[in-house]
Amino acid sequence: MTFTIVHLLPELLGTYGDRGNVEILSWRLKQREVVHEVLTIGVSDQIPTSADLYLLGGGEDDAQIAALEILSKNDSIKKALENGAHIFAVCAGFQILGTHFPASGDRKIAGLGLVGIETVSAKHRSVGELLSRPTVPIEMLTGFENHGGQTRFLDDLQPLGHVVSGIGNGQGSNVDGLITPQIVATYMHGPAFARNPELADWILSRKLGKLPSLSAPIFNQLHDERLAKSK
Amino acid sequence: MKLRGIIWIANIFGAISRITKRGSGVMVSGRIILKLQPNAVSLLSKKRKVILISGTNGKTTTTSLIYTALSVKTKVVSNYTGANLFAGIASALSKELSAPVAVLEVDEMVMPWAIKQTHPEMVVLLNLGRDQLDRLSEVRFVAQKWKDALVGLPKECLILADADDPFVVWAAQDWGNVLWFSSNVHGHLDASTCPACGAVLHWTHEGASYSCGCGFAKPKPQWVLNGDELVGPQNQAVRVASGIPGRAALSNAARAIVAATYFGISPRESGAAIAEVSSVDGRFAKLKIGNTNFRLLLSKNPASWRETLATSATGPKCVLLVVNANTQDGKDTSWLWDVDFTPLLDRYVLVTGERRLDVSARLTVNEIPHHVVTDVHAAASLLGEVESDLIASYTAFHQLAKSVVK
Repeated sequence: MTFTIVHLLPELLGTYGDRGNVEILSWRLKQREVVHEVLTIGVSDQIPTSADLYLLGGGEDDAQIAALEILSKNDSIKKALENGAHIFAVCAGFQILGTHFPASGDRKIAGLGLVGIETVSAKHRSVGELLSRPTVPIEMLTGFENHGGQTRFLDDLQPLGHVVSGIGNGQGSNVDGLITPQIVATYMHGPAFARNPELADWILSRKLGKLPSLSAPIFNQLHDERLAKSK
Repeated sequence: MKLRGIIWIANIFGAISRITKRGSGVMVSGRIILKLQPNAVSLLSKKRKVILISGTNGKTTTTSLIYTALSVKTKVVSNYTGANLFAGIASALSKELSAPVAVLEVDEMVMPWAIKQTHPEMVVLLNLGRDQLDRLSEVRFVAQKWKDALVGLPKECLILADADDPFVVWAAQDWGNVLWFSSNVHGHLDASTCPACGAVLHWTHEGASYSCGCGFAKPKPQWVLNGDELVGPQNQAVRVASGIPGRAALSNAARAIVAATYFGISPRESGAAIAEVSSVDGRFAKLKIGNTNFRLLLSKNPASWRETLATSATGPKCVLLVVNANTQDGKDTSWLWDVDFTPLLDRYVLVTGERRLDVSARLTVNEIPHHVVTDVHAAASLLGEVESDLIASYTAFHQLAKSVVK
């Protein structure tokens, strides 16, 4: 069986190098000889609903709204989730999944409503290193955040990490991102999987089961270096 | 105190800074001038024709080439070494008070201030792309700043703007007096949505043109660079020669030739002067470290890395990448993943700099064989007596460029 990764709208949601996450997943699968494919879905492509893992990256205000319009069409993301797909979303991609997110001119945009989160405009942009202690058994998480919104949970949700330094979801929550049975989201750019190889493998294994071990020390070195510098 | 007195004092401090090797003296003298006379830039611009140059990439090179072109006929002051913030601009204007023309490079975010202070005769807008997102914010935000600032231009001011870049077009299109320039650049990394209305922007002709349902579209350029042939509004054609390698440099040379024509200098005269420039502020300069002869190349964001990698591909087999992430580089290195490093395949690649591990991770996934070394000296020992390119991010580049014998 081919494991299918869908890279959603990189032209719109790809401002902060998050496309790297897709390349890293593909590379890690290739090293392990796991048969897989990456489908890059552009603005005029139809979104498949039967793939395994969907990735959403960060983007600017207008691009975020344009992406939302495309993702809402035909309920494709909702259908994909119903078909058992997993989603990994970063920053603007994270915000889109919730009920609302802010846009320029004090606008409040209704999101995809797939998880119980709401994002509002923050007084100050959150920019800098983000370090958090994960709520799942993987190493400490490190990334670089850059966002104007802050996200609160409307439901009782599991965060991805408890913030050690940086802002994350903000609003005094001291957490970053979220985890549901099918969705993992974060404010970590970097991109997240470059700095956090265990997060990459943990997300893959949720769908693929236990993966063979992989020796790729550069990613662990990068993780440890960033961790040491953030402390 | 009179302005001349202030400049005299500032120059003394500048000279002390130079003699004691603390710096070039430019920033010190500029800061003193602005401290003692906050309106100095306005006063020093008054009797001069001022040209402002801004954009994400190519500012320093274009400024230097326009300076070179205009210097053919007249005395010009300029901050062509890249000191493009308030003090650098003040310092440049305080030199050669009799020079009737000032050619000033301006940081994108300093443009509103520079426009207000200098009442320019011409504004050259190059391009806007993602760059140091942690400091400069998102691209459309910078374009909005420009759009708001351009409204305050003196009405006779001419804008020479890039028609290939939707952000530049959106910022400049309301101005009545725009000369559109195109170097047939295809596509734009950050312009997936219309800067005017936010809808998805339609790119056509393989990225050579764009339009939106709201009416926003690529303007028809008066000056077009095709290959090395520059064609003007009366269909006059000029061959452009650049002493600096690469497509971007050729395009900047063409812009300088266009700018010079509006100051009464023929393309033949300006073109000949421009072709003689082979290095600007250390870019493409030679630097020997150990036994290795390095050619210095600056690269600071995804767009400039693409250009630099393409230019370097025609250079020596060895290449050293030096990447830092200090404030001036941008502290976020995510952009490395927006660069396709495959032009480095089949070359001997070394990596260093404060963020060498980020680069190494990127190259690993890009499947580019490489070695990580602790610093440039370790790289030179490994390379030995060879020619090598050295592509460096901003702070690393300027640190190395200081050592270039001028």
